Amino acid sequence: MTVHLHRVVVRHAGRTLVDVADVHLEPGRAVTVVGESGSGKSLLAHAALGTLPAGLAVHGAMSIDGVPHDVGDQAGRRPLWGRTLALLPQEPVLALDPTMRVRDVVAEGAPTFARDRRAARRAALERLAGLGVAHAAGAYPHQLSGGMAQRVAFAAATIGEAPVLVADEPSKGLDVAARDDLAALLRRHVEGGGVLLTITHDLDLARALGGDVLVMREAEVLERGPVEQVLTTPTHPYTARLLAAEPARWAKAWMRDGGPPEGSPLLVHAEQVTRTLGGRRLFTGLDLDLRAGDRVALTGPSGSGKTTLGRVLLRRHPVDSGRVTHHDLARRRGRAPVQQLHQDPTQSFPAFVPLRAALGDAVRRHGVAPGRLEELLGTMRLDPGLLERRPGGVSGGELQRLAIIRAMLLHPALLLADEPTSRLDLLTQEETLDALMGQVEQQGTALLLVTHDTSLAHAVADREVVLPGGVTTPTAVLAGR
Amino acid sequence: MSTGAPAGTATTPPDVTDGDRTDQDGAAPAALPPVTDGGVGRAVLLLLVRRALQAVGVVVAVTTACFAIMHTLPGDAAYRIAAGRYGYDFVTAASAEAVRAELGLDRPPWQQLVGWWGDAARLQLGTSLVTGADVRHEVLHGLGHTLQLAGLALLLASVLGIAAGAAAAHRPGGAVDRLVGTWVVLARSLPPFVVGLLLVVLLAVQAGLLPVAGSGTPAHAVLPALTLAVGLSGLVARVTRDAVVHVRSSEYVRFAQTRGLGAGAVLRRHVLRNVGTTLVAYLGVQALVLVEGVIVVESVFAWPGIGHTLVHGVFWRDVPVIQGTAIALALAVVAVNTVVDVATLLLDPRPRETAVVA
Repeated sequence: MTVHLHRVVVRHAGRTLVDVADVHLEPGRAVTVVGESGSGKSLLAHAALGTLPAGLAVHGAMSIDGVPHDVGDQAGRRPLWGRTLALLPQEPVLALDPTMRVRDVVAEGAPTFARDRRAARRAALERLAGLGVAHAAGAYPHQLSGGMAQRVAFAAATIGEAPVLVADEPSKGLDVAARDDLAALLRRHVEGGGVLLTITHDLDLARALGGDVLVMREAEVLERGPVEQVLTTPTHPYTARLLAAEPARWAKAWMRDGGPPEGSPLLVHAEQVTRTLGGRRLFTGLDLDLRAGDRVALTGPSGSGKTTLGRVLLRRHPVDSGRVTHHDLARRRGRAPVQQLHQDPTQSFPAFVPLRAALGDAVRRHGVAPGRLEELLGTMRLDPGLLERRPGGVSGGELQRLAIIRAMLLHPALLLADEPTSRLDLLTQEETLDALMGQVEQQGTALLLVTHDTSLAHAVADREVVLPGGVTTPTAVLAGR
Repeated sequence: MSTGAPAGTATTPPDVTDGDRTDQDGAAPAALPPVTDGGVGRAVLLLLVRRALQAVGVVVAVTTACFAIMHTLPGDAAYRIAAGRYGYDFVTAASAEAVRAELGLDRPPWQQLVGWWGDAARLQLGTSLVTGADVRHEVLHGLGHTLQLAGLALLLASVLGIAAGAAAAHRPGGAVDRLVGTWVVLARSLPPFVVGLLLVVLLAVQAGLLPVAGSGTPAHAVLPALTLAVGLSGLVARVTRDAVVHVRSSEYVRFAQTRGLGAGAVLRRHVLRNVGTTLVAYLGVQALVLVEGVIVVESVFAWPGIGHTLVHGVFWRDVPVIQGTAIALALAVVAVNTVVDVATLLLDPRPRETAVVA
């Protein structure tokens, strides 16, 4: 099975979103499209599948094993879904019906499902067993960890034996271990003679998949070629920029080797801290001192308790035993020395309130000096006009920078940044963290960075606290039943 | 209930290090115990026990309140009961004393209250002070009629509302959607007595299809039920539409489509059940509103339901009748809530509250 795409163009309201001359997908060779958000890489994949939303003008031709198809006729490929073309969705937890057991979701995609349900169910169990998640067959999606949900979604997507698999940002929200796991599954599909098209902004995933890579920006393919060539010796300056945006290659003024200056005052003293969650021990006997200007990363796989530890150190979560003492971090009028930055800024701003009002509340409550807000907007290269919009009207990166401004306006002594860039693409992540760390450096703020990205932790932090995670099985979720 | 032991490895204290370490998460899935949903049956049982306790509490609260009303009413209860039995003109001090002795009204109030609770526990609700009829019989009679009416109304509203809502959701913003939207506003803005009178004028008086009011034949139930259903169907349509639009735009429906499931299979296997979780809870609330809110409609159509019984009980200060209807209505609330909770628990496996899971 081979797939060729010729001159695929997607337009909306006069803007060209995708304009790609040709893409060849061959069995046994992975093709990965990388690029920032809004580059059109996802639209290209969905145009090929026929899953674009209505309202977009789509043109182009494609052939599947020599049979021509009109890309503009999106409904035309519907009969191929599941049997010839399959989609591995983003965020598998959301892609599984919350009211249905995992084995039933997988079974309904089996080719025999309509004729023989029992055979379909057997096939589903076999496939789940082959992926090492047989024990989850009777579970519901909310009982699965992120990595398990990814395997279940993979089983559901591939049980129809479709030779062409399209994976749309499949590593979103996965920690390193789960991502490596996913890469192995996708490679297995390719090695079995399958066709694979992966869309991602995760260059490590592209490297792990091998094959060819296409670099997209502003609707066009800028560079293409074998992964090892394009991602080591890029010819296009944009690809070089993309590579330089990986945290492992950062060279920023605020990066440093040592810690804060000797004799910096102690802010947080944690002694023999233990905490359990849902019958599972997250950490025991933890000792940690935080001084002014410290930069500490809390890392570990999903569900290992990184965020809980951060909030325990902020004394916003109770401990089971041990003690957390704060020094001079008390909240007073005009002074809020402990701030937190959340993973998803859309949830930390009220959806229907203009941003100026949302930030203005913080300014008034804490008596922030006039002009300070405008100054920070300038430092972060944000147009003050953005403030008239609502949170939904600005990009994810812009909103996270506004959240940084909201936190740093108050000159915090301690900032907890909880996966602040895990939803952003590489370039936006670099821009956002650069903005954040510029302020942290300038104000001498102590930073607790929660992340599952070890290279990011290395780039930003002086020290790391690694939570091993233990067993993140649903039995822990169900403890007590 | 015992807390399951945390599975797997002993927790090691995390070190503060500079080095990176890789985790072996998911390396040995074969050794993991199977994931099961465990206690759905148990959760249902717990829920039933809790609701049963609630029912007892409700009955105690209602009977106590009625007892208090009885004792704070002006005048002597023995005289009132005697008057109810023999007529006002034939009440003498002697007959009042006879009643007092017979019913134990000379006992201390707390003993009377315990006796009152005992009667309520055996569902002996006494006799009407006015008609002398058995209150249990009166209440059951009224409740039966009301449940008939409410049930029929709910059925009509569900059929009309779900059909209209699903049609509107087919193309959000389309002509059908706007038409249904108008219907929702109209149906909600007309009070039931206006709708009732309109229907009487149109269907009974002008067209002569149905009886104007009263009871006795199934045809008599249609107009009052339709009156209730009109207002309700608008709300059901609205809720159905939003739920269907929401579910159909969900990731799991899109994933089902790209896995090759046909439109019918997606509807049966994914849309219905997920819309059902929203709708069942909503219809439950509406059923309660119906049972308690039918008084106006029962009055318009002279329907001998429980609202009718209650209104007359209040009007004649007939405390046993008030108590009987109050208990019946309170228990109906508990019963409907129980049905909704069990249905939701069976439809939606996600734990809804910690009390059910723990």
